[in-house]
Amino acid sequence: MRDNYLKKGLIAIAFMLSCSLLMAQDQQVSGTVTDATSGDPLPGITVQVKGTTTGTITDIDGKYSLSVPSGSVLIFSSIGFSAVEVDAGSAGDIQMKTDVTNLDEVVVTGLASSIKRSNLANAVGTVSAEELTGMTNQATLDGALYGKTTGVNLVSISGAPGGGIAMRLRGISSVSGNNQPLIIIDGIYMSNAEIPSGLRFASGANRGNEEQASNRLADIDPNDIQNIEILKGASAAAIYGTRANAGVILITTKRGSSGKTQFSLSQDLGFSKARRLIGLRNWNATNVAATFGDSEVAAFNAANQLFDYEDMLFGETGVIKNTNLSARGGNEKTTFFIGGSIRDEEGIMLNTGFKRYNIRTNIDHKISDRVRIGTASSFIRSETDRGFTGNENEGGLAVIYNLAYTRPWYDLRPDQFGNYPDNPTSFGNMLLVRDQAKNKDKVNRTLQALKFEADIIKTDEQVLKFSWNGGLDYFTNETYVYVPEYHQAQAGVQNGYIGAGKNVFTNLNYQAFLVHDIFLGDLALSTSVGVSYLNFKREFLFNESTQLIPGQTSLTQSSTQRIRQDLQNEEEFGVIFQEQANYNDMLIGTVGVRMDKSSLNGDPNKMYPFLKASLAANIHNFDFWSVDQISQLKVRVAYGETGSSATYGSLFTNFDATNINGQSGVIIGTQLGNENLEPETSKELEFGLDVGLLDGLVGLEFSMYNRKVNDLLFDRSLPPSGGFSTETIGDADLENKGVEIALRAKPVSNGTLIWNSTVSWWKNEATYTRVGVPAFTVPNNGFGLGLGTFYMQEGGTVTAIYQNVDGTPTPVGDTQPDFQMSFYNTLNILKNFDLSFLVHWKKGGENLNLSDLLFDDGGTNPIIDERGAQYADTWIQPAGYWRLREVALYYTIPSSSLNVFGGAIQSVKIGMSGRNLWTKTDYLGYDPEVSTNGTNAISNGLDVGPYPSTKQVFFHLNVNF
Amino acid sequence: MKKFIAILSLAAITFGCEIDKQINPNAPAVVNIITAATEADMNNLVIGVLARMRNSHAIYVTATGTITRELYLFDADPRNTTDLIGTTGSLDNDSFYTTANWINRYRTIKNCNLILDALPNAIISDAKKDAYSGFAKTMMAHQYLILYSAYFDSGIRLDVSDPANLGPLVTDASAVLTFVRNLLDEANGDLTGSDFSMGLSSGFDGFDDAAGFSQFNRALAARAALYDGDMVDALTHLGNSFFDLAGSLTTGPSMNFSTSGGDLLNDLFKVPQQNGNQIVVSDTWVNEAQAGDTRVTSKSAVRDNPSAKSGINGTNETSLYASATSPISIIRNEELLLIYAEANIGTNNVEALAGINAVRSAAGLADLAGTVTVDDVLVERRYSLWGEAHRMVDLRRTGNLNDTYITLDPIVVDGTPAVQIIYNQFPLPLDEVGS
Repeated sequence: MRDNYLKKGLIAIAFMLSCSLLMAQDQQVSGTVTDATSGDPLPGITVQVKGTTTGTITDIDGKYSLSVPSGSVLIFSSIGFSAVEVDAGSAGDIQMKTDVTNLDEVVVTGLASSIKRSNLANAVGTVSAEELTGMTNQATLDGALYGKTTGVNLVSISGAPGGGIAMRLRGISSVSGNNQPLIIIDGIYMSNAEIPSGLRFASGANRGNEEQASNRLADIDPNDIQNIEILKGASAAAIYGTRANAGVILITTKRGSSGKTQFSLSQDLGFSKARRLIGLRNWNATNVAATFGDSEVAAFNAANQLFDYEDMLFGETGVIKNTNLSARGGNEKTTFFIGGSIRDEEGIMLNTGFKRYNIRTNIDHKISDRVRIGTASSFIRSETDRGFTGNENEGGLAVIYNLAYTRPWYDLRPDQFGNYPDNPTSFGNMLLVRDQAKNKDKVNRTLQALKFEADIIKTDEQVLKFSWNGGLDYFTNETYVYVPEYHQAQAGVQNGYIGAGKNVFTNLNYQAFLVHDIFLGDLALSTSVGVSYLNFKREFLFNESTQLIPGQTSLTQSSTQRIRQDLQNEEEFGVIFQEQANYNDMLIGTVGVRMDKSSLNGDPNKMYPFLKASLAANIHNFDFWSVDQISQLKVRVAYGETGSSATYGSLFTNFDATNINGQSGVIIGTQLGNENLEPETSKELEFGLDVGLLDGLVGLEFSMYNRKVNDLLFDRSLPPSGGFSTETIGDADLENKGVEIALRAKPVSNGTLIWNSTVSWWKNEATYTRVGVPAFTVPNNGFGLGLGTFYMQEGGTVTAIYQNVDGTPTPVGDTQPDFQMSFYNTLNILKNFDLSFLVHWKKGGENLNLSDLLFDDGGTNPIIDERGAQYADTWIQPAGYWRLREVALYYTIPSSSLNVFGGAIQSVKIGMSGRNLWTKTDYLGYDPEVSTNGTNAISNGLDVGPYPSTKQVFFHLNVNF
Repeated sequence: MKKFIAILSLAAITFGCEIDKQINPNAPAVVNIITAATEADMNNLVIGVLARMRNSHAIYVTATGTITRELYLFDADPRNTTDLIGTTGSLDNDSFYTTANWINRYRTIKNCNLILDALPNAIISDAKKDAYSGFAKTMMAHQYLILYSAYFDSGIRLDVSDPANLGPLVTDASAVLTFVRNLLDEANGDLTGSDFSMGLSSGFDGFDDAAGFSQFNRALAARAALYDGDMVDALTHLGNSFFDLAGSLTTGPSMNFSTSGGDLLNDLFKVPQQNGNQIVVSDTWVNEAQAGDTRVTSKSAVRDNPSAKSGINGTNETSLYASATSPISIIRNEELLLIYAEANIGTNNVEALAGINAVRSAAGLADLAGTVTVDDVLVERRYSLWGEAHRMVDLRRTGNLNDTYITLDPIVVDGTPAVQIIYNQFPLPLDEVGS
């Protein structure tokens, strides 16, 4: 049986690779697909003619009907069920068995290879379209991943529309380099850059990463996505080499299928409100005098009213509209998917929002029996109004920063002529900033992928396939920051500020592979060799104007102008070899190596090897196995290496331009270049155990890993007396240790209720195992040891917040949670109702709540009265939480009711859903999930006046026709 | 088949693209200037020094001014009104008030050292080389003198030309002064007879030839000698400087600011009557002034709406600078007059009186008579050099940097008076300790 199965499988693969279906006479096949346990009809099951893209899906009553060539084989498949293969001749009514472990799912694991989940040696996280967007409306792809797979840690840097999420896969990957995973969408190396708008030059924020910009993954419409695979660690991602140190996210967009053209329309309407506001103190003459001195009481009494500026700023209800329309269809040779969407999202602060327009065309075409091409093509336009939040220094722009110092008895509202008064106790009037200052960006982006495949040799015993992929990600990002000349921090000094950026990103990549599959009786071998090339170009052009002509908003209308330009170019080339062996689906082993060189390394032509090896043993497939209750028992071990080169520019020591009175000169740059840089490397060893019980009704996936990052690149703080502040060196190691457990089950499945449940639990600890230089503060993170920062010390926790305690840098908190857990449940009730919810628990972890410090320092923190002291003893606060991330209820209108449309409408689904509707936390800030240092830095959990996070309610209408 | 794969992989490796050695497209490389500097390269470095010496000057002035209770900086960072007055128990060695001044002084010194490094291979005449050498050493000495004032015996690194091989941290403050004085003398030797034709910024008008720049150098030498307690040398150096008993108090080179693109504005200028970003004058400075002292009214203005911050309040705010492009003096005749007075104490009271009274009469005060004391001079320095970062070094060198000499402003937090500390110097920055 097992031998047979394998052979059949191999032949099937051979068939799939080929396209040489004999065009025989067609026959009509139809029937009903039902659940083997409950006997209920199963809608949405894919029915496909094996070896072709011809197929259909079952309707609401589980019925299908298909015209197929005689002699063909049909495959019935769906996530959550074991696939069924039958000859078309004997097809008809089909029963499908639940499989919560998705053993038959094909997982893409490499540049040109894929494997069945049952043979996989890594815990690759897969998120389907249904899991991603099936419950509620998702603004961004990364935000949609919360709690949906183990080993993924997400932190939102801003509650503003348009995203901004720091994603960490299995802990910390780098100190100064990249911590965000590599994003590959349909084979395109996609930029996920966080591009600052330059508002720091007006606000006085310390660095670009304090500007709370969004990351450009926000350009992707989550509704376009068919599925996401997450290669979390080096053992899974090794084949991506020198770009994959922080893991890889592989995104596949929806594609067409042959048959009648299917249209799908969905309309979402949502509302968002601030999740929590700080509120006002219970002001009276006594506490006014205690906090601000007796002299302030007069002003308090004179006003005789209090203005709740926080409510004026963040009390709005944001309206969110999302419309999606798609069509998919095609014939034997050509299939297509065309989709478009419009998203219009308002923030909870006036004049903030996000708009995204997206159109996509994906086409697959068979040129001949052996040659196939495919394209994925999309154009996106995103427009963001971010407003001003986060850190600043005397800019009078960041609204919460200034709110903290604003005493609510001073009236900051504009007078009848529209003049905004100065804020007498802070740096700027927040209402003026909200209404008249601007911080916008605009992205025009095209993503293009081209795939070419040819079967060079194809016999029963072997297949040799050539495949070529090319990808282009080209976008322009235009930023615009405007602060009027009458703003109090501008008047008399800079007299207004305009910063206009024009940034052009060009990411180009291609890869070419030969894949050879040979079947030798019990053993199947798959060999891949290939090359990969990528070239990333970035051009940043930033124009600034100050001393504005009053009332003018154009760069030209000013007397002082300045230009900054930064050009970056990265080139990489890699050679890949991989060998995979499968013995009877019992033992599956893989070895591989990737050799990479990069222009970011000191020697641009030195090849660095990255190795991988893995073994999976399907114990249940061995002959001695006779425990019927345990349908799957797999032991797996995987090892892999990845790398990451230093950020652009680390090689150079150069001068910066400067001037005095318009006389220009040069000043030594702050960075000492290092011409001997080598990539930092990650080495991961992962062990796992997968167990399937009760015929696939319960599945357990257990993984533990040890991921070491060696020769960690970091900007070493140099003694500043040498004239330089930093130098990039690779002289430290860190270690991530973690455990990931996922338990999937289908506890109930009968005529009235089908309940699917996934419980996930994961944790990670990151420790510096070696620091080759004296301990020091990590640059570009935090606010110094006085307030709190991150510190590189041998044996220290990477995610710990350090402060000076009696002159000694001491860890006072840890931003890393003890563990995270999520509960994902979908319930189908009485066939037509779908209830689903996702609960997320983050246990432990602390934040440094400097927003609270600001409210203390400003004397406006409501907790002061309760505490009896103006300042807290510490601003380290517990940041654990329970959160109802997503909840949704849908009703599918019975198909009988749709008959009035004469069959024109296939299905209609209506529903409502919510995001973050309930949160339980002891944290005193706007949200326990916060990061003021952007998406890439190692620091999370620093809270400096972020845009408050929101809770959202949506109404949905989905129509298929 | 295997052969086919082997050939293809070999081909891929062999013909794999060759990646070019990277050249920074954004900025000139240091190595190019060190190996063959042109006169233009040298002038670029000179302007770099003059431009950079301005960075973090404001925080140096306000941080030392807060410690000596001359003034308080009300701005976005609460540490200006908590750490610096001692309510947090100690100065932090990794906060901006400690690090920013240090970093920018040494970055300026680095540019000076690069001028010196570039000289041997520079394509210019020897007489010009002398001028660049004199300029670089003088400016470097000025930067070291600021480090001495702020960090005193916390440790100052004198030998910093090779970042990979830094010299020791010198904790003997008098050794730092000796080094600075020697450097200034060396520089003055270089300047003598040199072909000084580099274009300095307009703040150096009148001091931008060999003789003029030498006068500036000698003025700094007089300041250093005074700090070192060497009154004889102080007087000698004054004689060779632009010191002028009858001259304008403001004569002397200054740092310029402008609204040109990429240039800096004067951070010590604060928009009048703003509370969010303001330099508030200590009430003690206003209240302890001699009746009729016009320096109080010219350097400060009454606040319309004096709101407190971190429990600190004051009736007056700065009016030292008229606009954001007002120049900041580097050293000026008023200071030289007071050096002259102090250096003559105990040796020539007539000249001491001449110096101090030149300043007093300009401030609308009656002449002093009798024996001039160091305390007399300190009072005049307090008002003449308010907001120019002199108070900390002056009080320390006279043994007065303590709360018996300084009247503390009452600072009330949560209804109780805050515990205040007067610090003697800034700590060594953390990044310097670690190495």
